[in-house]
Amino acid sequence: MFPRVTAVLVVRHGGDHLDRTLEGIRAQVRTPDALVVVLTAADAQAKEQVGAAGPTQVVELQEALSFGEAIRAGEQALDAPGSEADALWLLAEDSAPDPGALAALAATLETARSVAIAGPKLMQWDEPERIAGLGRTSTRLGRSVPVVAGELDQGQHDRLSDVLGLDPAAILVRHTVWRALDGFDPGLPTVDDALDLGVRARLAGHRVAVVPEARVRFAADGIAGAEGGGRGRAVRRGARAARAAELHRRLVYAPPALVPLHWLSFLPLALLRSIRHLLVKRPGAIFGEFAAAIGTMFALGSVSRARRVLAGSRTTGWSSIAPLRLQPDEARRRHQAAAEARRVRARGRTEELQFLGAGGGWVLLATVAASIGMFSWLIGSTGVGGGGLLPLSGFSELWRNAAYGWRDVGTGFVGAADPFAGALAVLGSLTFWSPSFAMLLLWFVAMPAAAMGVWFAASRLTERGSVRALAATVWAVAPMFLSALAEGRPGAVLAHVLLGWLVFAVLGAATSWAAAATASLLFAGVVAAAPSLAPALVVGWLVGIAVSGRAAVRLVGLPIPALALAFPLVVEQVRRGTPFGLLADPGVPVVGPVPSAWQLALGFPGGGWGGWEEIVRAVTPLDPRLVASALLVPLVLAALAAVLTSDIRRTVLTLATALAGFATAVAATQLSVATVGLEAVPLWSGAGLSLAWLGLIMAAVAFLHALRRGAAIVSSVVAIFTIVAIVPSIVAIATGAVPLGPAGERNLPAYVIAQADADPRITTLRMEPESDGGIRATLEHGAGATLDDQSTLHQTRARLTAEEEELATVAGNLASRSGFDPGAAVQEFGVAFVLLAPAAGDGREATQAEGRARAALDGNPALVPVGETDFGTLWRFTDAEPDAAAARIPAGAGGWLATLITIVQLVIVGATLLLSIPTGAGREADRRPVRRAPRRRPAWRLPRRRRPKAVKADKPVTPAEATDAEAPAVDPEAAEAAEAPYVGASAVASDDRVPTPIPAVTDRTVDTGPADAREGDDDGR
Amino acid sequence: MAVDPKLIRIGARVLALVAAAALAVGSVAAAALVPWPEHRVEVPSQEVQPAESRQLRVCPGPLFAIGEDPAAATAVSSVGPAEIVTATEPSGVALEQVPLAAPANARAAEDGAPIAIAAEPGGVDAGLLAAAQSQSVESETLSGFTAAACGEAVAESWLVAGATNLGRSGIVLLSNPSAVAATVDVRVIGETGAVEAPSALGIIVPPGTQRVLSLAGLAPNLTSPVIHVTSAGGAIAASLEHSVVVGLAPAGIELTGATAGPSTRQVIPGVLVPQAGGVEATEDHADGDDHPVVRLLAPGDEPVAVSIGVVPESGSGGTTIEAALEPGRVVDVPLGVLDAGAYTIRIEADAPVVAAARTTVGGTEGQTDASAPSDLAWTVATAPLLDGAVVAVPRGPSPMLHLVNPDAETAAEVRVVSGGSERVVTVPPAGAASVSLDAGASVVLDGTEGLHGTVSFAGDDELASFGVQPPSPLDSPIQVYPR
Repeated sequence: MFPRVTAVLVVRHGGDHLDRTLEGIRAQVRTPDALVVVLTAADAQAKEQVGAAGPTQVVELQEALSFGEAIRAGEQALDAPGSEADALWLLAEDSAPDPGALAALAATLETARSVAIAGPKLMQWDEPERIAGLGRTSTRLGRSVPVVAGELDQGQHDRLSDVLGLDPAAILVRHTVWRALDGFDPGLPTVDDALDLGVRARLAGHRVAVVPEARVRFAADGIAGAEGGGRGRAVRRGARAARAAELHRRLVYAPPALVPLHWLSFLPLALLRSIRHLLVKRPGAIFGEFAAAIGTMFALGSVSRARRVLAGSRTTGWSSIAPLRLQPDEARRRHQAAAEARRVRARGRTEELQFLGAGGGWVLLATVAASIGMFSWLIGSTGVGGGGLLPLSGFSELWRNAAYGWRDVGTGFVGAADPFAGALAVLGSLTFWSPSFAMLLLWFVAMPAAAMGVWFAASRLTERGSVRALAATVWAVAPMFLSALAEGRPGAVLAHVLLGWLVFAVLGAATSWAAAATASLLFAGVVAAAPSLAPALVVGWLVGIAVSGRAAVRLVGLPIPALALAFPLVVEQVRRGTPFGLLADPGVPVVGPVPSAWQLALGFPGGGWGGWEEIVRAVTPLDPRLVASALLVPLVLAALAAVLTSDIRRTVLTLATALAGFATAVAATQLSVATVGLEAVPLWSGAGLSLAWLGLIMAAVAFLHALRRGAAIVSSVVAIFTIVAIVPSIVAIATGAVPLGPAGERNLPAYVIAQADADPRITTLRMEPESDGGIRATLEHGAGATLDDQSTLHQTRARLTAEEEELATVAGNLASRSGFDPGAAVQEFGVAFVLLAPAAGDGREATQAEGRARAALDGNPALVPVGETDFGTLWRFTDAEPDAAAARIPAGAGGWLATLITIVQLVIVGATLLLSIPTGAGREADRRPVRRAPRRRPAWRLPRRRRPKAVKADKPVTPAEATDAEAPAVDPEAAEAAEAPYVGASAVASDDRVPTPIPAVTDRTVDTGPADAREGDDDGR
Repeated sequence: MAVDPKLIRIGARVLALVAAAALAVGSVAAAALVPWPEHRVEVPSQEVQPAESRQLRVCPGPLFAIGEDPAAATAVSSVGPAEIVTATEPSGVALEQVPLAAPANARAAEDGAPIAIAAEPGGVDAGLLAAAQSQSVESETLSGFTAAACGEAVAESWLVAGATNLGRSGIVLLSNPSAVAATVDVRVIGETGAVEAPSALGIIVPPGTQRVLSLAGLAPNLTSPVIHVTSAGGAIAASLEHSVVVGLAPAGIELTGATAGPSTRQVIPGVLVPQAGGVEATEDHADGDDHPVVRLLAPGDEPVAVSIGVVPESGSGGTTIEAALEPGRVVDVPLGVLDAGAYTIRIEADAPVVAAARTTVGGTEGQTDASAPSDLAWTVATAPLLDGAVVAVPRGPSPMLHLVNPDAETAAEVRVVSGGSERVVTVPPAGAASVSLDAGASVVLDGTEGLHGTVSFAGDDELASFGVQPPSPLDSPIQVYPR
């Protein structure tokens, strides 16, 4: 009897693909004996089309079932197979068979009795000469890989026959075998269902074969197998399904004893693979990685069902399929080929910065020389001090202070760390043997580092060396930067240094995950060092997302590390009703004069005129304000002239940056959120001015870049005027006439320091007379307060805590003739020493307060005078106890919350760090827009544009090239490119004669169109 | 009409540049001119009222005579007991009287010792405990009447009185009522500048002890000494006994407490001039004790111009004397020829000075030198009083309370309660008033905020005064900033 072939067609959507498929079935040379159509949640059009085709039977299902389940439903509607030769032909709506396909498949089943499943050669729908799939196999570790994919079909694989498994579309399965094997495994809904069926068939003693003569066009619409098309979401979903299927099969195929071990290994493996995803710049795959692991771990029902089915049908050992797996040498060959492909892709990818060629070396040399000249008097000291600078703690305490937990400042409390403490920990770890030395290094390196940051940032906008040098120089000698250096404000210095690098990284973030991650770390650094910049930067971030189109996906995550570090602080500040406290400058509060709007406009945040007052008054009758202003006019004019260029977007962005920075600075002068002693500390306006200065520089760069000639001369004029404007500041620093100074040996008397060696928590009550006749009373532990101890949470608290009130009571009574029991100081706070600082200045009230406190302390029988020291008069409590319980840090301060917060912060920052490591060249798609050759246009016109929109204008790409290039990208397997790099293998190492496209060229062309599918693919990674 | 597109382009660009410049200038102007809202946090602090402590006053104890015993020419011994009167508000608070050890005084057992008067914590508020002592002596070398307030022990005091030239002797009394030893530096400044006296530095006064120093031993032959006493460790109540012998007859004695600390403005209330006379301020050789003078010292490093106002308490008339002080040199400025009466001396200086005034009461029978006075008084500058004060009035001739109102705008109404009777005294703006008191009485003052006060005693040949000082600021509330 003639064997009966029943075609089972699974349909979800109507349309062209279904039409062509139905047409293909009808046009078969050997037509199927019956056509069962399974409609799973099909639309009306599909039903209509199916109805018109006149199927034997229609099974209509309301829910959207997987391919395997839909086939199962269709098969259940059939009679039992009459003979072993009866077969099912499993078709999806998007698999259009060539007329001879079924004949070839059926002939294979007829001629070879041992073959249970025969699969066709799947050809790509849009490109029927390219193979979409020709059998599947698995590696020895069980990863599913295609035997052939993405190659041009020139008959090179037509002798292939026996395979381990197949792709599910259009395979012909003996009906009896289908029933014996219980069809596709419901645990593999999307991918690997046919591979698994093939494995089980082979283990049951059958053969699985591909029939290259049977050609089926296959569109990968997601009915059978994963959805193709290269859209980001489809790629992520496909990767997740592939991983879930692999894990599922691992549990199903493993010997029973090993199943628990495999089960336990899933989460650790997911973690390790996530790290790899970050390193290969595929952060989008991480979620799917964990979802697959967890989903499989908790789908034990389907695993045990599959294991039962497998055990029931298996007749031979696993060794029988070993020869059909991907052999190690083939795997190695594919790996090498993929690496070669990456190298090819990476070639010519690095930006040609022309560091030495464009004069970057000279700028570096000049700024290094200037920095050494300016701070030569600091050479040989062990650290910097003065202003807002204090020593740093030791290595381990430095990191403890960076984490949520005990804030060892004042009376101490449990709370969030300033993100700045994290920045200090990183800095201090550079010189872990003496963390304070890192601050000295920062002061020396600050100027060249700042200059280089902006030099590189400018290199993204112009290739003219003179303009880059102008930007770097003017940034390195910015007045607010020099003020911050002179006044010892580490936060402001760090923010200024990092801002330039932030711009550099952000400009690169549009095309690279590594740059985007670096930018987000720098963003976190800037916000940590100068929280007052956060509002302006967040606005900038939102604008950046809005204007950067598809690249926005890489900018969306920009504030994540900053948010992770600041989140506990934000919660605490908002919860206690001091949200403005978030803007407080971290570190030691430094009280300074509030600058006027004019001073701000000139970039002087310290309330002076950059040292011009004295010089000008001494030499000329001119107004020093006018002199200082006149010197800065060229820079402002050059920046404003950016409106003359034709790149409106760049002009608006740079000038808006300047305006936002200026607004930040003005707002800073209106805010005082932290207090120290009796002073409310105004916010440092210099951070906002840094941003404004950066905007001016970038605007000037935009203008000078567009200048057809004379850019070098104009640059020099601007640079010279600006440098002259800050000469008094530089002289003041170089002569040491600034608050900055070499770090003192200590900041408590030597007697206390000596005691602190034995008792690191020894507590000193420091009293400082204030100008209103009051006293400031603070507690210092061990060798004194450190920079990383400081906490804005402490400085911005609106009210005194109970402990602080207690401290005030103790100190107030110690400074008075009082019946108060001085032992309270010892019991409550473990105070061992009282240090009375001399009154600053000769204000009558302060002097009186000092005299009063001195008399009271002198007359206190509980205190023994130690003597006069460099820091004031020192007394010791007679009944001070060593290692006082009240002075200790409470054990387990912060509890589980501290651990949780620290872990989350470490994970986020660590993940960003991994993502920022530039291993992606070649792995990441080249998203750089094509540079056009410079055009000679009239002056004021930008010769080049970088926006994709502009690139549309030139058409250097022929249609043929474009199709060639897109082909691998739209391949459904492209998601696996890095992991299973057969694409590269076929393209580069296969011995076919097909001219392979040059990846570097193809990727670029792919990138040109904003609507291009390839962009979405990469965005998804 | 066709316009050249090039012109349009140039025009647009010029317009854009002008607009950008206007925007820049506008932003700076807006930053400068618009009154943007401000947010300045309140500085958290706490006013700490010191816990109530023992209120303590130290009475200097009996007067001393030097060299009474021919066998020990420099030994001191007391000459009769001093009589002590205490006053508290509220009255009747239990007081503890602790005698201090006076190891140098051989007659301590007979004449008594310096006494620390203490009210237990919570008994009285700061400043509402007062005590004073008085003593009359009549011997071969000493004669006259002294009255002194029992003062607080402090870390620094200025004694502006005394002399060590021929016939004058001075004794510095250092009482340490506290529980810790005091290390005291006594520095004597004279008309020629500071006197080198290393032996007076680092004097240890043990707890609960009085030590006595001969001023002549530290700084002989000074006509105008000023003594600066500083202590570390325990606090010291310092007084100076100043006695005069003219010819062979005693010509007065005074026990002076500390004057107000250096300030650019000093007020000496109630300077009694018992009989008309005096020496013009311009007189260069005004030797002797028998004319009113004001003694001035500028402890700073710069010359100081001083304006001395001498105003009768009646309010009419008055003179102003201009003087120039060399830094670190004491000057006695004669107050001119004055009518008998009570005067207020106001001193305005352009740098801090310390001051006190000396007056004498005229000669009596039995004097070999008829022009010699019979007693003298040092009236010290006082610090402004708090709103309430108590005054203990020791026994003595016709005690009188003098109040001075330095405020030129408003009069002060002072309630004076003494022995159940109540009077209201109005002190006119920039004027003075005096109230006679009962000897041995306890006087409570109310409404004295900012006023200065002195209690004076005047008999036919007796003259004495002491200042009414506010409590030391050591007890006052203090603002503490615990950040």
